Amino acid sequence: MTSERSRTAHSESADQLARRALDALRGAGGACVAAAHLDAVEDESDRPVALGAVRVLGADVLAPYVLTGQDIPAEERDALELALSALPPVRTPPAAPPAGPAPAWVTAWVTWGLVTAYTRLTPTDAPAAAAALPPGPARCDDTAPRRAAWPADGGRTTAEAAGTGAATREGLQEGWVTWSVRMGQLASLALPGLDGPVHDAARSSPLALARGATRAMLRRDFPTAARIARWLAWLHAEGVPLPLAPAPLTDHIGLHGGGGRTDLDTAIAHRLLSLKPV
Amino acid sequence: MSNAFARTAHDIGSRALTWLHTHRAHGALSPSVRAELGRDADAYKTVGELTLAASLVLRGGVAGTTELALARELLEHCWHQLGDGSLLYERLLRHPLTTDAIETYAHFARSGYRFPELERLIAHTVALRSTHAVEHVPNRRLAVANAARVIGLDTGPGAYDWDGLTRATWLGATPEPWHIDWLTGYSVTHTAFHLTDWGRLPGGLPADIATYLTHWLPVWTDIWAEAGHWDLMAELMIVGACLPEPWTEAADWQRLAAVQHEDGLVPRDAQPVDDEDDDDPARRFDAHYHPTVVAAVAATTALTRALDAPWQPGS
Repeated sequence: MTSERSRTAHSESADQLARRALDALRGAGGACVAAAHLDAVEDESDRPVALGAVRVLGADVLAPYVLTGQDIPAEERDALELALSALPPVRTPPAAPPAGPAPAWVTAWVTWGLVTAYTRLTPTDAPAAAAALPPGPARCDDTAPRRAAWPADGGRTTAEAAGTGAATREGLQEGWVTWSVRMGQLASLALPGLDGPVHDAARSSPLALARGATRAMLRRDFPTAARIARWLAWLHAEGVPLPLAPAPLTDHIGLHGGGGRTDLDTAIAHRLLSLKPV
Repeated sequence: MSNAFARTAHDIGSRALTWLHTHRAHGALSPSVRAELGRDADAYKTVGELTLAASLVLRGGVAGTTELALARELLEHCWHQLGDGSLLYERLLRHPLTTDAIETYAHFARSGYRFPELERLIAHTVALRSTHAVEHVPNRRLAVANAARVIGLDTGPGAYDWDGLTRATWLGATPEPWHIDWLTGYSVTHTAFHLTDWGRLPGGLPADIATYLTHWLPVWTDIWAEAGHWDLMAELMIVGACLPEPWTEAADWQRLAAVQHEDGLVPRDAQPVDDEDDDDPARRFDAHYHPTVVAAVAATTALTRALDAPWQPGS
């Protein structure tokens, strides 16, 4: 099916871009990430996919510059401006899940991360497109059923449906399974210099993140484990006490590997933990 | 406290106990097995586990009149199978380094069945340094210690170093929770069962281990539920009932109820229970009595704790 082929092309392009970022982070490639990715496009019809990959990776494209302090080359700035103007941030980000649509909300946050990190790195060269701050994520209740959600569709909560009486809690809340997987989708925000409501949510629920990472490990879903473990590494760098040690977890994921994005997540986690990769 | 799970748990436990009672004859010892009991502990493993389930249903006191009667009959059946305790006596006398007779007798002693000669033999045995040095896996050492405690023989020269025994187990090390595997899952559950005497003594769990289990039980239960390992999932649910602050999720009970057969059998895993090649009732019992025992124990321990302790909100 075309949509399946399209998804595969987007995924492969994002993976290649992640490898370029990883090479730049390790000092193994050139200083450019997005620019090199766009330069490698041979067929013009593939250019939208390559631009889309920048938006998929978000602030991770800038991770080499954020983590090593090296300057962004001019052609890299041009490439990022091009990606942001081709796919500008939405003016009004959607409501956070479970009330709002999760994919659009995740995209809004990933874009916010890219724009914010870029602005911090190039304060005199603000991007053409500003990104509105999306609504913060639901709070995670560590004691709630794993997949609980307040409010669910139609305003009737799953807590009410289950008869648990927990519906009296106020605001958006979720159980740790759904919440931690979604935080993993926002892993590109787990970079030094970025802070906001998503980071506050991470600070408030280290146990949920640790459970999510553990669940992903036991399911041998290493990409998800790497994304969530990155939040644990970020919290560790912030000095937040964790219910499990992030270093052996990160090492273990690194030994399994799992594609460009997973390797990049693991390398960034190692940096946050000030560890050498195993 | 919220007991949304209570009705589901009660129904699961009642049906499981009924099935175990109905099919108890399949776990009976044949005359040849009786003769060889001295050599083979596995020969009466089934009887021992039926005894455990019945003893905990009676101890909990939360079952209805019908279930209590079934549990008493099941216990009586098992006691009779073991020659009113005499086979346990023979086995321990002939094989003093085996501990299964002590462990099995504890389930009877819990329910008021006593065999004085066996108790004298056990008192002698547990006081020997040799018994304490038997090269069991660490969680099995806790099984022996708990059996001695239940029988009332864990003082004096037979006293156990509970902390030392606990720290020798995998759970006692509070290790990386993402490194557990299926077999180690059973080590974890049994360590918790014996430390707390199946939920009777939640304070038997050291505080750091109780916290550790509170953190990771929701993950492990989810993992083995997803994998369809109902036996281990239900054992982990028992562990939730052993915690100082008991933990459970209504969804887990609903899942267990959904896989339980109409007649009460709880399948071991997600593999089909009945097929054309394997509809032998004895084999069916042999393959699935354990998860059905576990389900009965899970229900009675969870419901017992629900009556006397606050449960995690949202449970």
